[in-house]
Amino acid sequence: MNPLAPSNESPSPSGPPPDRPRTLLSGRGDPFLSRVEGETGANISACYQCERCTNACPVSQYMDIKPHQVIRHVQLGWREALLSSTTVWVCLSCEMCSTYCPNEVSVAAVISFLRNMAFHSSIAPREKLLAVFHQTFLDQLRKFGRVNEFWLMEAFNRHLPILKEKIRAGTLPEELRLGWDLWRKGKLHLIPRRSKAIAEIRAVYRRQRGEVAP
Amino acid sequence: MKLSFYPGCSLDGMARDYARSITAVFQHLEIGLVELEDWTCCGATAAHSLDEMMAAALPARNLALAEKLGLDLVSPCANCFNRLRFSRKLLREKMVDVPWQVSGELEVHDMTRFLAEPALIKRIEQRLVRPLAGLRVVCYYGCQMVRPPRITGYTDFENPQTLDRLAAALGAEVRDWSYKGTCCGASIGIGRKDIQDTLTGRLLDKARQAGAEAIVVSCPLCQANLDIIQRRSKGMVIPVFYFTELMRLAFEGGERAGVWFKQHFADPLPLLEGKGLL
Ligand code: SF4
Ligand code: SF4
Repeated sequence: MNPLAPSNESPSPSGPPPDRPRTLLSGRGDPFLSRVEGETGANISACYQCERCTNACPVSQYMDIKPHQVIRHVQLGWREALLSSTTVWVCLSCEMCSTYCPNEVSVAAVISFLRNMAFHSSIAPREKLLAVFHQTFLDQLRKFGRVNEFWLMEAFNRHLPILKEKIRAGTLPEELRLGWDLWRKGKLHLIPRRSKAIAEIRAVYRRQRGEVAP
Repeated sequence: MKLSFYPGCSLDGMARDYARSITAVFQHLEIGLVELEDWTCCGATAAHSLDEMMAAALPARNLALAEKLGLDLVSPCANCFNRLRFSRKLLREKMVDVPWQVSGELEVHDMTRFLAEPALIKRIEQRLVRPLAGLRVVCYYGCQMVRPPRITGYTDFENPQTLDRLAAALGAEVRDWSYKGTCCGASIGIGRKDIQDTLTGRLLDKARQAGAEAIVVSCPLCQANLDIIQRRSKGMVIPVFYFTELMRLAFEGGERAGVWFKQHFADPLPLLEGKGLL
């Protein structure tokens, strides 16, 4: 079975757990909990559901799975629900949750790890614009070694689905106005500054992907 | 005194006014800044969001450059500072494998905390030409500079004081408020403008309620976010200053303020004029 195959058995956030046996390959159950604990160093088992993290969070009202529920979901191995949540994309990594947790559970680190995991999974990101924007940012970084705001936005809008999405949502005129205002204020710079060390950065990217230099 | 300096992409782009004020202020204080040659982007929110290994690896190259210079590193941007410290922690713990010679032992300062040390506060007070008497401000730190404390090293993360001390040293009247470290939502504006506008709007409201006429920040993303949202506001705007812009104003007087602040959307000139600071 392909561990990354989309599952239509995702439990709804408040719904019951999947009732088929947990298998190691699909990353449910204890291996999932151990993996998240191991990768993030977060003390997930220590959570006693006091909800202080959620109360400290500035955007919890926009999340389908609240920060304290994220921790519970990890304990229960509800992987698909987490990876297809709005939570992983809406989270600002502002670290209020981790800072105020009485048990020092690094909630923000867990959500970041899940966002990484969601991005590398076959589950479509719930906030597509944000996911594509981050990806575009990294593309620009790989191209220039640094990121220039003008070329970043240009590259972002060059993705046709993104442009269509903006037209559909009616946000494009406002964005063009903002671009014009920034231009008038002299805040945009058309000539990107490159770093001469770009070859080193690209080499790290290649190694990340497991490619070996010939 | 000499430091190595990592400006970061924002100071190379939208926040060039911040960069200029930093250069001026450090000259006044006679502290040398050596910009890292060929520095590269720290990866910012994007690497952190999508690829945590790159988020640890990208800043490491800049740390390696600073170690080669043998000079403590200072970062003016809250996000870069956070990413550099994050990478440094993983390097120390030998959790990240990078091709550069780097130990992670070098000190990485955020610029506000470096300048808010007692000895430098004294030096700042000695350089004042035009104290900012009567200017009522709140200081806004945002999230990345102070949290998580195990990365940033802030012990007073609930009620940070570095910007407050600096603004007070310049003679400004610093108001207390409870939103010093509440996230402004800059990182989410691209996809969820509704959330960003709610968070930013609340900060501006709370600053007003605290009796502030201006906000003092150190993060280029916070500045852009709090400033841009006011670009079409009709009524009274709340100018958003980089703390180094206010330092420069207090060190040099306001004759050239029209040039310094021309990239601000929320125009600070009427306020400064009313206070007799121009
Ligand atoms: S604050 Fe900590 S202990 Fe409380 S619910 Fe959140 S993660 Fe669990
Ligand atoms: S890091 Fe994310 S979950 Fe935690 S308080 Fe901030 S926005 Fe909420």
